Amino acid sequence: MTIARLASCLSIAALSAALPLSVAAQDTPSVAFVPQLIGIPYFNAMENGGNAAAEDLGMQFIYQGPVDANPLDQLQIVESLISRGVDAIAVSVLDASAIAPLVDSAASQDAILFTSDSDAADSGRPVYVAQATDEGLGFKLIDELVARVGDDATIGIVSGEATASNLNAWIGFMRDRVAAEYPGVTLLDPEFAGGTAERAAQLSTDLIAAHPDLDAIIAVASSTCPGVAQAIETSGKEIMGTGYCSPNTARAYLKSGAFGFTVLWDPYQLGYLTVWAGKQLIDGAGFAAENEVPTFDAPVTFDAETGILLLGEPFVFTAENVDDFDF
Amino acid sequence: MDDQSGVGRDLTLAAACVAAVFLFALLSPAFGTAGNAATVLRNGYELWLIALGMTLLMAMGAIDVSVGAVMGVTAILTGQALLADLPLGVVMLVGPAAGAMLGLCAGAVVVWGRIPAIVATLGLFGVFRMLIFLVLGGQWLSGLPADLTRVVDWRAAGVPAGLLIVALAYGAAWVFLRRTTYGPHLLAIGFDEDRARLMGLAVTRVRLATFAASGALCGLAGVFYIAIYRNVSMTIGADIALEAVAAVILGGTPIFGGRISLVGTVLGVLLLRILQNGLLLIGVPSLWQTVVTGALLLGVLSAEVVLRRARTGAA
Repeated sequence: MTIARLASCLSIAALSAALPLSVAAQDTPSVAFVPQLIGIPYFNAMENGGNAAAEDLGMQFIYQGPVDANPLDQLQIVESLISRGVDAIAVSVLDASAIAPLVDSAASQDAILFTSDSDAADSGRPVYVAQATDEGLGFKLIDELVARVGDDATIGIVSGEATASNLNAWIGFMRDRVAAEYPGVTLLDPEFAGGTAERAAQLSTDLIAAHPDLDAIIAVASSTCPGVAQAIETSGKEIMGTGYCSPNTARAYLKSGAFGFTVLWDPYQLGYLTVWAGKQLIDGAGFAAENEVPTFDAPVTFDAETGILLLGEPFVFTAENVDDFDF
Repeated sequence: MDDQSGVGRDLTLAAACVAAVFLFALLSPAFGTAGNAATVLRNGYELWLIALGMTLLMAMGAIDVSVGAVMGVTAILTGQALLADLPLGVVMLVGPAAGAMLGLCAGAVVVWGRIPAIVATLGLFGVFRMLIFLVLGGQWLSGLPADLTRVVDWRAAGVPAGLLIVALAYGAAWVFLRRTTYGPHLLAIGFDEDRARLMGLAVTRVRLATFAASGALCGLAGVFYIAIYRNVSMTIGADIALEAVAAVILGGTPIFGGRISLVGTVLGVLLLRILQNGLLLIGVPSLWQTVVTGALLLGVLSAEVVLRRARTGAA
């Protein structure tokens, strides 16, 4: 990891140098989004949604993030955006404890820091643009899976980085749901693959060997989906793969049967909503309990107590509907 | 080539592998099965190939930390050759050929740029990662056809073809090291580069050839990667350089060069993969695996220092 970290620092330095030095000098208000990792289809879709919203709303949109899901790199990127005078910065938080202190220091430099896609709940951020509630996602995946593999199943979990707060929250709610509703289900402790698909495949293969009675494996991080699917295909066993996987990543495996279904939301809309929320914050307009957002069919709910702006219900992708999506 | 302490190290490592196998088999009924043994070996293919190149480089006093990115670039090329329906023989050669070119680039920067290998290859690592990003354009290659998978998993008398190819690579390296002047020259450069040059050895040629050979092996690892995982993500190979260096050092090839042990590298990789697989099977959380491998590396190195002190103290 150290090597990747050094190299990504170099590339971040290069990227920062290539972008305009001061965005504050321009008249149009600017919103930035810092993903956990650039170069994966999921965050690309958020970037596209953000760009569309920026065009519709007359904003400037900046998209910058680490190349390998590294919390330190993400911190540096957020700090550089604050000092460059960006008006509002949304972060998909990798490490909540690292981001939280920045909320105040951003405010002292006339920037608004908020979270989107992954939260830092106790940081004092004004709003968290949520793709779905962590509870909704954790429950939905377990409900859909138990309906398919039975309420006496043994289920393994392969996650990504152990410090990613959103992934850990989903796993927590999966456990809650199993404990409350499905006493016959055995949910194994999560294994952490870091960011590489190779490691995810090796972990899954070992899980299958360690538990001959395994019925399903959940790929919690999108980066682990192909690895989990590949391990299931190689094993030749009757094991159902699932997870929070984008349609493009899971398409081949949904059609081959290695994956029964996947649960996610539309990141394009999430990116759109993020930039819209940034504009509301910059304008000082705030949020109502129900908000009309341009291009959205249903009103978007805001919970003033938790500060969560909710995109909507999680979506279940299957072999039948996967071709309707492209991200 | 293997001096006395090198052979001692090989024996210690072999004993460690055997001990680990017995321990894990005792603690987990799932470990000691033929299927799991095949899995452990299959998980080692890319690391064996990359660690072989790293062994040659480190024996020469060099290092290449860009190997993971080279594997990434060549895996993408192999995947795209596969999608383009090229003949399988061609598909399998694209990776090693491209890898050799990239390795030669690294060698050229080190040799003619007079930049220390670790700095030069760290810079190239960043460049190659960017190349991967630009080529993939944010989309993953996933669900690739299984043509290569069938080649690698094809068995001759029960032995998988993938393992045979790895063995062939090591065999070829052994022949070059033992039966040609390449071996002595490589070690002479690793021992003292300036003296090797004064002795009239073709230092530049040996260094370039070694970087190219390491690159070709990374390319072959890229072919194996596609065969086994059938997908390529942005983060491909992010950790493998450190794993390779760890396996080589465990195997007794020192980081400053001048000595080499191919058997040690084979065993070093095997021990890493046995530990990763076995620890999970006996229920140790995967987070602890890196701690165990790190502690193992530190333990071996400090034991070596203590032993050397004891020996020089006795003499």
